[in-house]
Amino acid sequence: MTVLKVEDLVCGYSVKKPIIKGVSFAVNNGEFVGIVGPNGSGKTTLLRALIGLLDVQSGTITIGQHKIQNLERREVARRIAFVPQMMEPVQGFTVEDLILLGRTPYLERFSFETDDDHDAVDWAIEKLKIENLKDRQVTELSGGEFQRVAIARALAQEPKIMLLDEPTSHLDIRYQVKICKLLRTLRTNRSIVATFHDLNLASRFCSRLVLMKNGEVIAEGHPDDVITPQNIWQAYRIKVTVRKNPRTKKARYVLLP
Amino acid sequence: MKKRKKKINKKQRIAGLALLVLLLFLLGAMALSLLLGSVFISPENLWQSEILWQIRLPRVVLAALVGLLLSLSGVILQGVLRNPLADPYILGISAGGAVGAAISIALGAQFVIFGLSSLPVTAFIFSLVAVFVVYKLSQVGGHAAPETLILAGVALSAFCAAILALIIIVSGSLQTIYFWLLGSLASASWSNVITVIPYALIGAGIAYFFSKELNALLLGEEMAITLGIEVEKTRLMLIGAASVMTAAAVSVSGLIGFVGLIVPHWIRLIIGPNHRLLIPVSALSGMLLMVVADTISRTILSPLEIPIGIIMALVGAPFFLYLLRRRRIRGK
Repeated sequence: MTVLKVEDLVCGYSVKKPIIKGVSFAVNNGEFVGIVGPNGSGKTTLLRALIGLLDVQSGTITIGQHKIQNLERREVARRIAFVPQMMEPVQGFTVEDLILLGRTPYLERFSFETDDDHDAVDWAIEKLKIENLKDRQVTELSGGEFQRVAIARALAQEPKIMLLDEPTSHLDIRYQVKICKLLRTLRTNRSIVATFHDLNLASRFCSRLVLMKNGEVIAEGHPDDVITPQNIWQAYRIKVTVRKNPRTKKARYVLLP
Repeated sequence: MKKRKKKINKKQRIAGLALLVLLLFLLGAMALSLLLGSVFISPENLWQSEILWQIRLPRVVLAALVGLLLSLSGVILQGVLRNPLADPYILGISAGGAVGAAISIALGAQFVIFGLSSLPVTAFIFSLVAVFVVYKLSQVGGHAAPETLILAGVALSAFCAAILALIIIVSGSLQTIYFWLLGSLASASWSNVITVIPYALIGAGIAYFFSKELNALLLGEEMAITLGIEVEKTRLMLIGAASVMTAAAVSVSGLIGFVGLIVPHWIRLIIGPNHRLLIPVSALSGMLLMVVADTISRTILSPLEIPIGIIMALVGAPFFLYLLRRRRIRGK
């Protein structure tokens, strides 16, 4: 079932110079889609358009049955959650307080958070296995811990689609793998779309890859079909050879000397 | 599930209890303030005393209302502009109000509008004009970025300060204008109280009504949008509310500094940044602080009055620094 459909999307920060120049792709329920491509290829801009932070100049973004322009912000927020590359830790908030902010699109004006909201928070905490962090101050967390909290906050939104902007780029390799494994488990009943710089990591964990260059999609499909020497040359202008990881059987590139 | 229900109730009970205690403190301070002053009122004359009912009571009530207006306006603006240095005057309100008041004093204009003398009315109008100009100037493509708003506020304040200096030099009424600038509740009357009450009630309502939005804004503007908040609308609404609240306070009490900057910070340091609690607790604390400061200002050197702004800064600044340091030490 398609949960997110992008057709001929054109958008950017000014009408004269769009960053995304006619992108189409679809995301099905249960997929973990990785968006890869060189710096400046429009990965982050694409994510920002999908969450409604940028106006669509032409083309359409369809969430479930609805075009994004026809949905209220609150309705969008109940369907899509966003984890930015960097999120400011709020002074004086515990991990639980921060995750509770994920319930904002469900809160009524005058009432306090309901039991449902607290249950959603507990569920997100359990999913990310951060029970031990629950009462810690968010300002005291390490990068890897904070990233899990940020993902839990997005999960508490109970979204159908989770968008993550470079969720692993400032983490050590242990946390890179940990976060990717977590994301892979989270895709049941929802879809994950994340941008990556590390092609081998994306190839290892994503069910599908979208390779972008200059605001266009130049390859899309199973990681084995996207991570090829030709595609990588076209996108990054570097020469690589592609081998199978002997244990996972996933494609990985190796730099040529 | 059972356990969860208990936990929420416990949190809410503690919050409710804290508010109740604060309220009792406030009422106590107000009662005490009524009995203190340059004239001693004997207990048997309490109920017929003109001084008590016509001078002290309106003054105490007005002090509380101004405290509420300024502290809530500070909470709102610090939240919306996402800047810890934001206070009720940051968008040029004080500068505009000062020019308005100075013009009124310099012209010696003594007309009466809606039962109010000219000074509060001109101060009120000029305050709002200043914010309106700042907001309009900062708007680029329907979007007013917080940094632009703050910078425009600073620029307009500088411009207004120049005009104010000109008015003072030309009119020669330095002393009157200077005392107004320092802020005082000496001109309190029942008619002042009655004009300010609606602003306080509606302002407090709006602030509480928007606590969800203010909480989401803690994560930054873009995250607030992704959480379903209409950031642009919210900002316009809240800046509007804070401006009118501040203008109302300025019109009856001049420029009382510090309350709007410090109270929200104090309370945030103590109870955390959740606006559901921050707003009511700041409101009550602002009222309490203002009543206490005003009582000190009119009794400590009685019959002489020390401008309340001086008391506020003398006592408030060291206490604030103490809180700040204590937290830093504990945090590290």
